[in-house]
Amino acid sequence: MADLINLFIDDVAVSVPKGTLIVDAAKRADIDIPVFCYHPKLKPVGMCRMCLVQVGRVKLDRGTGQPVLDANGSPEIAYGPKLETSCTTPVEPGMRVITNTDLVKRAQKDVLEFLLTSHPLDCPICDKGGECPLQNLTLTYGPGVTRFDYADKQHLDKHYPLGELIFLDKERCIQCARCIRFQDEIADDHVLGFYERGRKMQIETMSTPGFDSKFSGNTTDICPVGALTTRDFRFRARPWEITNVPSICPHCPVGCNISLGTRRSAKGGGEWEILRVMPRQNEAVNEIWICDKGRFGHHYARSQARLQKPLIKKEGRLVEATWEEAFSLIADRFRAANGKAAGWLGDRVSNEDAWLFGKLFREGFNSAQLVNRPHVAGLDLVARYGVGVGTNLGNLGQGDVVFIVAGDVEETAPVHMLRLKAAVERGAKLIVANARETKMDRYAAISIQYQPGMDTQTVYSLLASVSNQQSAISSQVAKFAPSDNKIKAAGQLIAEAQNLIVMLGDERPYPVMVQGQYTDAGRALAQACANLVVATGHIGKANNGLLPLWPHNNTQGVYDMLSAQGAEALSGEVKALYLVGTDPIGEGQNLPPTDFVVVQELFLTPTAQQADVVLPALAWAERDGTFTNAERRVQRYYKALPPTGQAKADWEIFRLIAEKFGLKWSFFSAEGVMHEIAAQVAAYAGLDYVCLAETKEEWPPVGTSSDLYFGGTAYDNRGGVGAQTKSLFEINGRSELKWIEPPPPSGQSIEPRRLNRPGTLIDQSAIYEVRLRAAELVKIEA
Amino acid sequence: MDKYVLLRHRDTPDIHKLSVYGEYTALQKAVTTLTPEQVINEVKVSGLRGRGGAGFPAGVKWSFVPKDRLPHYVTVNADESEPGTFKDRELMEFNPHQVIEGAAIAAYAVGATRVYHYLRGEFKSVARRMQAALDEAYAAGYLGQNVFGTHVEIQMFLHLGAGAYICGEESALLESLEGKRGQPRLRPPFPAVVGLYNQPTVINNTETMANVPYILNHGAEAYKKLGTEKSPGTKIFCLSGMVKRPGNYEAELGKISFRDLIFGENFGQGMMVEGRNVKAILPSGASGPIVTEAALDVLLDYESVAAAGTILGSASVIVLDDSIDMVWAAGKVTHFFRHESCGKCTPCREGTYWMEKQYQDILKGKATLADVQLLQDVAQQIIGKCLCPLGEFATSPVLSSFQHFQAEYEARATDAKKVVPAKAASAKAAATPTAAKTADTKAVPTT
Amino acid sequence: MLTEIFKGLSITLRELFKPPVTIQYPEIKRPVRQRFRGRHELRRYADGLERCIGCALCAAACPADAIYVEPAENTDAERYSPGERYAKTYEINMLRCIFCGYCEDACPTDAIVLTDVYELAADKRRDLIYTKDMLILPPPSGKPGTPQQVAEGSYPRSILPEGLVSEP
Repeated sequence: MADLINLFIDDVAVSVPKGTLIVDAAKRADIDIPVFCYHPKLKPVGMCRMCLVQVGRVKLDRGTGQPVLDANGSPEIAYGPKLETSCTTPVEPGMRVITNTDLVKRAQKDVLEFLLTSHPLDCPICDKGGECPLQNLTLTYGPGVTRFDYADKQHLDKHYPLGELIFLDKERCIQCARCIRFQDEIADDHVLGFYERGRKMQIETMSTPGFDSKFSGNTTDICPVGALTTRDFRFRARPWEITNVPSICPHCPVGCNISLGTRRSAKGGGEWEILRVMPRQNEAVNEIWICDKGRFGHHYARSQARLQKPLIKKEGRLVEATWEEAFSLIADRFRAANGKAAGWLGDRVSNEDAWLFGKLFREGFNSAQLVNRPHVAGLDLVARYGVGVGTNLGNLGQGDVVFIVAGDVEETAPVHMLRLKAAVERGAKLIVANARETKMDRYAAISIQYQPGMDTQTVYSLLASVSNQQSAISSQVAKFAPSDNKIKAAGQLIAEAQNLIVMLGDERPYPVMVQGQYTDAGRALAQACANLVVATGHIGKANNGLLPLWPHNNTQGVYDMLSAQGAEALSGEVKALYLVGTDPIGEGQNLPPTDFVVVQELFLTPTAQQADVVLPALAWAERDGTFTNAERRVQRYYKALPPTGQAKADWEIFRLIAEKFGLKWSFFSAEGVMHEIAAQVAAYAGLDYVCLAETKEEWPPVGTSSDLYFGGTAYDNRGGVGAQTKSLFEINGRSELKWIEPPPPSGQSIEPRRLNRPGTLIDQSAIYEVRLRAAELVKIEA
Repeated sequence: MDKYVLLRHRDTPDIHKLSVYGEYTALQKAVTTLTPEQVINEVKVSGLRGRGGAGFPAGVKWSFVPKDRLPHYVTVNADESEPGTFKDRELMEFNPHQVIEGAAIAAYAVGATRVYHYLRGEFKSVARRMQAALDEAYAAGYLGQNVFGTHVEIQMFLHLGAGAYICGEESALLESLEGKRGQPRLRPPFPAVVGLYNQPTVINNTETMANVPYILNHGAEAYKKLGTEKSPGTKIFCLSGMVKRPGNYEAELGKISFRDLIFGENFGQGMMVEGRNVKAILPSGASGPIVTEAALDVLLDYESVAAAGTILGSASVIVLDDSIDMVWAAGKVTHFFRHESCGKCTPCREGTYWMEKQYQDILKGKATLADVQLLQDVAQQIIGKCLCPLGEFATSPVLSSFQHFQAEYEARATDAKKVVPAKAASAKAAATPTAAKTADTKAVPTT
Repeated sequence: MLTEIFKGLSITLRELFKPPVTIQYPEIKRPVRQRFRGRHELRRYADGLERCIGCALCAAACPADAIYVEPAENTDAERYSPGERYAKTYEINMLRCIFCGYCEDACPTDAIVLTDVYELAADKRRDLIYTKDMLILPPPSGKPGTPQQVAEGSYPRSILPEGLVSEP
């Protein structure tokens, strides 16, 4: 075990690893030392002076270096002349810390009295009231009355917008610098700073547009007072009036654990609505952070534009109909299609929906023509060689290497960027290869910039530089041996790596026309990455393998469900087409020629407008389900809102259609569907809603009211931490190297995916509009 | 003084010119004949104490720098923002080469190739003088890539601050030098181990550096002959306030007293206004506890002054006579600290403002006795909790002025008891000893 | 035997001619005590602005969960109360209310008070959910109601400084 140090805190014996700070050691022993500026995820600064304690150290003889013993033979303890800040002092063997002497209690009271001389009496109008560490600590440790003149409070800007999402109340700020340190140390966007000095010290934004960071919302969680609040939640409700429901973010493949704060509100027309999205602690996925898109991108669940009733096209116009009418029509037309039916399934739907979609096609429509939307290359390779069970980016450190190719982590999986940056600070090495500069280059040990379109070639150059690689494709790989020293050095890093993760991006055009034929350049890149991990043996273990930057939250899960049911590509005539959660026409693509189109959607998208039948589906917040994230962790989300109009859950719609075909499936909940998935999909064996709901004690302890001051306003995880599925390699041990000749650069320019680009769902969040409009258009010219 | 150690321009005009100053013999001796360890040892043996205020032995500080973890840095604290301190500017304006030579020796001793002088922002004209001297030193081969033709490199730069007293605090100075907000750092770790850009750094005051060439030229033993055993060497005393002749006076430590300094013929020559007496002495600028005429005979060295209940610090002696309202004076000093508080830690940021507020109420006649007591309580509340010494020192004038002049405070309270007004500062007409007792003092004429 | 009967009847007769204590409600109403807790009222300041700042402390204090508050933002062009915040939705479910007065105690601006009115009967449950317009007092005579358009920056604080006349 790592070096353990034994000490006494308030006469309680405590044993903690070397380097632990006194304040953390006390927390582990259930002794609360109050803090403001300290946060377990940030470097300590000792600014607020709230955590002052009495520290006694073992007296050491100057000559021998041995402890001086007293009459009883126990080491003599020398207490410091002054109180010391427990957040900056690491533990030492034999230390005696006292947190409950009169001197310490006086110090706590005094510091609070000082803080309250400048802090305004805003509790009645402050959003933080009820979940405010300053309130809690004042009641626990503070003076009952102040001796300061109330009329002499400071007057500063109260409603100061830091950017368009966050409001700053400069009077309330207690100058703890948690927000600045979060931005500097964790998000690496140096957009906040102090201005002025002394009592007038204020937070200012240093960027134009203001507070230009994708993680700005997290500062409102860790701010210990109501200085930083979100515009979304301003003046909506008190924390105790909110019903919190655990959920998973529906946007990107990180799968951040969130908590939906709901209330039935007059502003929402007397209906339940989501007032705010807060992070939920899961140290293996997102720790206690979420990005701004996840925080402010929930409004579509309750948008007025949601489809409420089924629609059937009559005489060229879509008119409202009943479910019965819609089901009958669909059943008739799909029966008539006689097996020539195709399904396009979007990758935002849950595993249960995807499973029953495939089942409906197989057993009901007699067709296996099922397509993932959007087209993504390498799904099968990730299923086979994805990161092993037990993967946790928080465990990466010395000896670990992460190779990112053709992707921008901050734009496509923002919270992964935070985790990777932290991993680099712990000693992990990053190799970044892209046709353009991205934020990850800041942390990269080696940055490789290749010509646009030369991504696959670069991966093989890297593989060629990894020494001692003899494999079935060695001779083909050797053709790409590099002359560039950087790639050679990168290959050396990989050769010496203990663990290797390859993050696969999609910044190249696909498919590509080469000599009149479509070549899926994405496929070639994915295969190259798979070859890299297979050839170097970095598969089948935790923190080893492929980690993809998929477009959406359940890209992996949808693929897993469809492929387990034998989905095949489209072939031949399509007489009936069923689209779920995908909008090809809106994205500028055409539907194949067909006689009958059913669209199951949340909104009346351009594709839905061309449909013969439109079915309204429930949004993720209105039902249960599971998503599988990029690390292949299956996570549950819970129903938080009642249904919109007459919409039904996707899986339920499929079940009802199946009934028309005589299929009596006995699924009455998403949980029931998961039973079948676990039985029939090898990787999902053993999963059920009970095991997915299991929680574990995590560090730092956050979320309960007594810990607010310690870890900020994230919610502790009562919904479950999820479970990782095994990769196919971990199940059957089969791996192979395949060669796909890297296609030459296509000459097409590439528009990489950006976090803040407009889309059907995010467009519904009016508060986020400025970010969407401000997002630069990036193009990689060929 | 017989012969100045520091203010040599008073003996030798134009010593700011290299042609007058002569060669950097001390630096040459260090670089060409001594090892760095020998240099550190020499300075240690000499007992030279830091002249910036803390009085920490310079040689010991230099020895804390580890041998590895290059590069090392030397910074010279020329921020000189303590009220009543103006010695470093005289040194830099009129005897810059001695400062430069001392700093270069320090760099050699700790293996640093870069030396930064951090001057307060207001020292623009001083910086011009220093830069001119630096240029001369570079031209003569005393600084640069090959000092005295050896492979020792010493590069020296000036950096101007931007008007913050807190940047005289060593860790805040380093932060400011790095381009960040001038706010103090957590100590430990100390700058000798983690300093400028996280590298081992030595920080010394300008006057401290100016002592080093003498030590190398004449030897540690010769230096120890000056001053006292525990406080060797000479010190520049900055005398200001209501004296006839304010100014810088160099004298051996422990050989003169406050009385000598204030009344000595070669020093302050007595009170500015005839018939007035010393009411209060601020011996260390704004930062030390205030003493009264009872301390006039205390010898001026670190130990003796500490034994008298105050600190010698930077030896910025401000003298107030009995026309001064001590409540007003303490209030002004408190205003200074409130204005200069960096705001990083709660007790100083909020406490200095609160104390100033109390003073405003007291001076406006709006305070009760309870408010007067509250002022003291707030000062006590700040002590022992601050991140850096500024907050702690901010309480000294408040507490010490109350200790000595409580009646003046209470007389201003709205509910004051009608008593005999505050005792006159010098009822005992110890009067003004003019040329008295200059026997063993080494008075210094002004330039 | 007869004497006992007459003794008893004499008591009855004596009592018969004493004045009754019954008060003939509703023609005559007994005055309530000074601290009687009856129907709620949302008060205003002397200049017509509402006192309620939408802090929901009354809702938090209520032991019966009878109060529902939804706050909103004041602007100087449309001002309901001093400061940044006001109650856009304010409802009291009178059937839940136990007339304890905790809401009155909790209110930081003396907005919600319980008055003397106790005649609150109704015959539909829905009518006993009092909305804000049923609770807010009319503005003092001569003063405008809310929302008001005020000079910019004239009401920066929710809690008014001492000295402003508080009684309407």
